[in-house]
Amino acid sequence: MNRGRRSTRIATYLLLLGIGLIFAFPLYYLIVTSFKTKSELFAAVPSLVPQALNPAAYESVLFTRGYTGLLFNSIVVGLSATILAIAVAFAICYPITRLPASRRLRAFVLNWALSLRFLPPIAVVIPYFTIIRTVGLYNQLPALIVVYTIFNLPLAIWMLRGFLDEIPLEIEQAALVDGASRWQAFRHVLLPLSRTAILAVVIIVFAFDWAEFLFAFILTATPQAQTFPVGVQGLVTQFEIIWNEMAAGGVIAIVIPLTLMLIARRHVMTGLTFGVIREK
Amino acid sequence: MRLGRLMALLSAVALIGSACSSAASPAASTPASAAASAAASAAASAAASGGGKLTIAAVQGGEDAGLKALAPMYKAAKGVDLQIVEAPYDNLYSKLVSTFQANDSTYDLVMMDDPWMPKFGTDGSLSDLGALGISRDPDIADVVWDVGTWPPPRGPVPPSEKAKPKQLLGVTIVGNVEMFMYRKDLTPNAPASYDEVLANAKAQKAAGLTGYIIRGKATNPVVADFLPILWSQGGDVFDENWNTTIDNDASKAAINFLVNDLKATAQSDPGSTDAADRDKIMANGQGYESSVWPGEINTAVLDPAVTKVKDKVAFIPIPKGKSGKGVGMMGNWMLGIPKASKNQQAAADFIKWMLQADTQKTYAQNNGIPSRTSVLTDASLTAANPYFPVLAEALKSPPNWRPRTDQWNAVETILGTELNKALTGGQTGDQAATNAATQIRALMKSKGYTQ
Amino acid sequence: MTLGGRVGMRTGWSRRTRQEQLVYKLLLPVFGTVFVLATIPFVMAVIEALTAGPRGFVGLANFETALGNPLLFESIKQTAFYAAIALPTEILGGLGIALLVHRVIRSPGLRAAIYVAAMIPIVIPQIAVGVVFRLVYQPDYGILNVLLGRTGHDQLLWLSSPPLAMIATASVDIWQWTPFVYLVLFAGLQTVPSESVEAAQVDGASTWSQFRHIELPYLRPLLLLVLFFRLADVIRVFDHVYVLTGGGPGTTTQYLSLYIYRIGFQFTDLSQASALAVLVMAAMTIFYTIVSRFLPADRG
Repeated sequence: MNRGRRSTRIATYLLLLGIGLIFAFPLYYLIVTSFKTKSELFAAVPSLVPQALNPAAYESVLFTRGYTGLLFNSIVVGLSATILAIAVAFAICYPITRLPASRRLRAFVLNWALSLRFLPPIAVVIPYFTIIRTVGLYNQLPALIVVYTIFNLPLAIWMLRGFLDEIPLEIEQAALVDGASRWQAFRHVLLPLSRTAILAVVIIVFAFDWAEFLFAFILTATPQAQTFPVGVQGLVTQFEIIWNEMAAGGVIAIVIPLTLMLIARRHVMTGLTFGVIREK
Repeated sequence: MRLGRLMALLSAVALIGSACSSAASPAASTPASAAASAAASAAASAAASGGGKLTIAAVQGGEDAGLKALAPMYKAAKGVDLQIVEAPYDNLYSKLVSTFQANDSTYDLVMMDDPWMPKFGTDGSLSDLGALGISRDPDIADVVWDVGTWPPPRGPVPPSEKAKPKQLLGVTIVGNVEMFMYRKDLTPNAPASYDEVLANAKAQKAAGLTGYIIRGKATNPVVADFLPILWSQGGDVFDENWNTTIDNDASKAAINFLVNDLKATAQSDPGSTDAADRDKIMANGQGYESSVWPGEINTAVLDPAVTKVKDKVAFIPIPKGKSGKGVGMMGNWMLGIPKASKNQQAAADFIKWMLQADTQKTYAQNNGIPSRTSVLTDASLTAANPYFPVLAEALKSPPNWRPRTDQWNAVETILGTELNKALTGGQTGDQAATNAATQIRALMKSKGYTQ
Repeated sequence: MTLGGRVGMRTGWSRRTRQEQLVYKLLLPVFGTVFVLATIPFVMAVIEALTAGPRGFVGLANFETALGNPLLFESIKQTAFYAAIALPTEILGGLGIALLVHRVIRSPGLRAAIYVAAMIPIVIPQIAVGVVFRLVYQPDYGILNVLLGRTGHDQLLWLSSPPLAMIATASVDIWQWTPFVYLVLFAGLQTVPSESVEAAQVDGASTWSQFRHIELPYLRPLLLLVLFFRLADVIRVFDHVYVLTGGGPGTTTQYLSLYIYRIGFQFTDLSQASALAVLVMAAMTIFYTIVSRFLPADRG
């Protein structure tokens, strides 16, 4: 490795670090704010460090306001909708990438999927509300799960098919020749090879589900089915912004997905090594 | 393979979880719902008799604090569970609009701000409370009953509503009239007129304070700050026949008074200031005067944890303007019963209970803002709530309500956008008046209010 | 090879019809269900756009009303400015970060950690994002002006001078969504066959030509995805703008999303809002058709 390359490398590290710091600052300030007391927040000049690590805002959000129940709903909806979206995306991508689907069919499915995203949600939120009420799912979690699944299909389909396109057909065909059924070939050959894709999609789709507000708000009526973002929204009232609790809500909204990642870290690590497919 | 198992496990967990939470309520969320969470769903409560449950859609913030405090008492007194579901202001409005549109029966009672009444009244979304046994009470100011009556008993009536019989659709549970606050330690005499408001503001600005704190954020906030000024100075948005008058001389003068004169004494950035910012400036002792809603007083200006001016602020009715009057703006929160509710009488019974004098007093002791004159003037309450007598006075004057048209939200958005533009230097006050008037005229014409 | 595989298969497969039947057998139940589920609300929205409450069917009247309001064009203009600031920054920034991380960071743990960290800005509720940035940009008590003041700079009215308000709102978008672009493109980079990259490196290809000729073709469909995702999302930004400026100063930050929201829920004219949404969808579809000609969804 020559000197020039090495210095470029260091420069790149520094550049990434700098970008990271810029992105980290609002997060840092979010955390700082969550630990401040109301009187600290009313200080004429704000501080970059809290006087003490005051957990009152967290207590209020989780217990006094009882948003723990909403978090539970969010986790259930997020996980179910993510899994469902991936399953559906697989069911749609498999035939158009692994089988001789016509070019037009493939283009139709892909373009349709992306166009799902083109209609501003404001126009469909009331129709969805009407439908959900008609089928008796109003104010129930399955309604959100179904709706989120549909909304995340564009991303899931487009990302999955990119990966599936690059897994050589021969690998699967070899299994078929060896007498495996299509399902077995899918289950034991294709699925493991798609691990990276699945994890990448899981992370993005779950993040989208986790933070969604509009539909969660319109399709629910009581805390029984409301999700965490609906609760957090209530911390900005007409006359007051409850800064510290709002920030605590933000931190909690970050911590839970990260904790889920940590619980599944073995899979995250093996899945997110990126490039496993290629090193055959 | 391991991944497959993980996914299977996660799906199982998720499905079980979702089944659980739709079958029975998960951990309770609000104190009120803690008591209420036994019932499975709001629809099911239709069947419940004696005891039973009422679901109330409420606004999040100071305005429903008293209501939340009453919930356990009502449970103890009448055995009825109150589930209070909160949403912040804008969201509550869209929630109610969509709920009424779908004729959904989830909510038995709804809290609504008085400018929403025209929309819900026009749409026929609410039950006639008179038919459910609720009638006027002389201890509660007439304006409180008038504001809950649709079509409006006075002032211009929308053309589509003129033939409808007058019905009581909402009962005020938060008596709310915009008032005025100033630092009595700096000027011993209250500003008697807007001329004095301005003169004092200039003097305090020169002394290093913010003179008049403008709540100037685009749309609703700036309009709420401006309307009392407009009315007191003799201007108005509409005349008796829905003709737009926001660009007549008096209205123009009022706009210029806000965006030129008062602005010169204001904080650095009135254009992005909302109520929370205004209260912060006031509580920190950095400002001299501003308009104020009762609902925001306890969150900062009188909150002992943060305020530096607790005994230095006085609350008075809106000062007199060029019209010779000081006209406050009403922002009463009302309770109404959606026509779709399956618990009409039970809901009405709660309203009656809530209006009783003893309940109102308990309510006031728990941060509720009562509307009963005898409670507002009760000496045992005024120590903790110095603005109560002022509120009683303001309700009697009576205050103005925002024009009774289902187009009010649109009008407010138009006016609030133009005022904000003038306030941030994007146009003059006169231009704001002209631009707002042009758009409002076109809107009212398209909706059949004018020829 | 991988590419040729599919094309070769299509022409040379002996039991072609049975395979093609299988395509439909597999695709129809799931795709059909989803298609119907997603289409019903869309059709209902179109019907809503063609009707006006009790007056029933009104033809294109809602579209006329929608297009007759000068504020619509004002909001389209502001949205275009917003998009012009935010989108290129997000896409080029996200692409740049993805490439840098992909090429420079070798440790699998670090790669996974960065990937997971990039989801953080997306999982925070929108309103909380808005509130944090209000604490940054608010002129009196915002930390940014405090820091500017301490370092001897002029304090700026971030939320109420037109160009700054737009930059402030767009910066939130950039903060939140550049990591998303990175997430998608970085995942996409993993599909690039390492043999092709190695071959190019042996040939002494420059970093640029390695990107241009090897990686870019693989990223092209994802760039299309990211571009239209972000474009569609710009038409739904709401909370952070609402918390920061409420659409002000004047109409500077009254973007199309706020405008449609106002028509729908503040003016409670859902028919006109639906008409606007249908127009947005039509415009997006036309734009997509044009762009996808230059940036095909398929590499082949």
